Amino acid sequence: MPGHRVSGAPARPFGSSTRVRTAWTERNRQEQLVYKLLLPVFGTVFVLTTIPFILALIQAMTVEGRGFVGLENFGRALANPLLYESLKQTGLYAAIVLPTEILGGLGIALLVHRTVRSNVVRAAIYIAAMIPIVIPQIAVGVVFRLVYAADYGVLNVLLGQTGPSQPLWLSSPPLAMIATASVDIWQWTPFVYLVMFAGFQTVPSESVEAAQVDGATTWTQFRHIELPYLRPLLLLVLFFRIADVIRVFDHVYVLTGGGPGTTTQFLSLYIYRIGFKFSDLGQASALAVVVMVAMIVFYTIVSRFLPADRG
Amino acid sequence: MTHRGRRLTRLATTVLLAVIALVFAFPLFYLIATSLKTKADLFEPVPSLFPPNPTIDPYISVLFTRGFGGLLVNSIVVGLSATFVAICVAFAICYPITRLPASPRLRRFVLNWALSLRFLPPVAVVIPYFAIVRTIGLYNQLPALIVVYAIFNLPLAIWMLRGFLDEIPLEIEEAALVDGASRWYAFRTILLPLSRTGILAVVIIVFAFDWAEFMFAFILTATPQAMTFPVGVQGLVTQFEIIWNDMAAGGVIAILIPLSLMLIARRHVMSGLTFGVIRDK
Repeated sequence: MPGHRVSGAPARPFGSSTRVRTAWTERNRQEQLVYKLLLPVFGTVFVLTTIPFILALIQAMTVEGRGFVGLENFGRALANPLLYESLKQTGLYAAIVLPTEILGGLGIALLVHRTVRSNVVRAAIYIAAMIPIVIPQIAVGVVFRLVYAADYGVLNVLLGQTGPSQPLWLSSPPLAMIATASVDIWQWTPFVYLVMFAGFQTVPSESVEAAQVDGATTWTQFRHIELPYLRPLLLLVLFFRIADVIRVFDHVYVLTGGGPGTTTQFLSLYIYRIGFKFSDLGQASALAVVVMVAMIVFYTIVSRFLPADRG
Repeated sequence: MTHRGRRLTRLATTVLLAVIALVFAFPLFYLIATSLKTKADLFEPVPSLFPPNPTIDPYISVLFTRGFGGLLVNSIVVGLSATFVAICVAFAICYPITRLPASPRLRRFVLNWALSLRFLPPVAVVIPYFAIVRTIGLYNQLPALIVVYAIFNLPLAIWMLRGFLDEIPLEIEEAALVDGASRWYAFRTILLPLSRTGILAVVIIVFAFDWAEFMFAFILTATPQAMTFPVGVQGLVTQFEIIWNDMAAGGVIAILIPLSLMLIARRHVMSGLTFGVIRDK
């Protein structure tokens, strides 16, 4: 093989003409290899992930026994008042958990970053913060059953309220929302903490020291020096958390099953209920299509801020 | 700040952090405590914080009497197979975009496509998959779960693997290629051994995610023949009369596997959770 690089900068028009030509054909060959290797595998996976979308669209436009019905299922799905009820509750849930998790995680990160100097303690906090995150959602449901359940839940035991008038955390309307949201906060505030803490480590110490020499207060140092470095991470965390709130299912399913009434019947639980409890797959598919389209729009907007473009 | 003031702040933050730690740790402590209680302990008028007569009976009851051992095996089989498939496919996709002169546009398209899957709510996808799986006769069969899990963790595997492969300098392989080695040989003897740590990290994290998955398994399986462990645990929580110690033991087992795996791969967990955006430590 002639002496040229497999990859790197494109062949430039200098050197002897034969070398340029061999380098160019070789490069062309390499680029063909990219497609030869990538296409079969990526093509298959791409099809496998696109089929559900097309199939959902077909399912959404047909009814068993009647065949093609056009947009009827979409009409039924969008006319169902329970959909808007579930969107409202999902929004409320998001409005509780997102600010709490982001501000809480950011606050704890700031606190640890400023006050904990020992590397051993920092590493211990890193490990401890990882624990809630890696617990399967179903097990998180188990954990909080033991906290919130009437009669056996430890919370009412600690509150000294075990009698007949005890608060029913999982089966009375405003409390069930608070209980399910608190579980989310318990599991995901540490995630925000870890991301933010890693963010603080990227702030160059020279800028911080310069600000301190200039007499910056703790707040101005955070606001003007550190926050700019954290902003991209905050956005990233926000996007990931929004995507997660929309898919929230497991822990709510085992804690309240979407109840009482529709208090915790968030979007995923609602679609599940339509599709598998009421066996109305047409309407559920229509909802699935609407959700997929909404998420594609959301992702298109969000992807500008995401690292995929770092290439 | 005065010396005294600094000490006070220090004390205040330590107390604050300790309180936060306690609030976060307590539910897990109570889970473990409950999982060690005897059947008789469940009838205490006020549940105790510490198991009065610690026992491992609930674990035996869950794994053997209730037959969750079989579900554990299903979970492991599905997790290992799906992880294996996902890693192989991820490698086949990452190799051309990291080691060969793929155009930046193609590279960006593949990575963007993978990331977009992360934003798709499973409930929207499970409905069409349910129809497919029923039609081709794979309902309540492990292969259906293996394929679905492999597809759904592929984006994560691609993004993590890409990060690891990007860190291995191209020059090392090139030296071998210049000496006349074939691409396949260079891949097998140079790239594969060099990316071993990275592959292991991806395997661990993808397996842990497969292990924790609930919704697909819940909808695509029906009997213990194909059910995974989380589906079994869900049954313990939602049954009419909850047997608290068994439920807690099921929860502990469900936690133990991903937790120990993640502690082994702790340096890569954050990168796994943020698609390689955070790569610290």
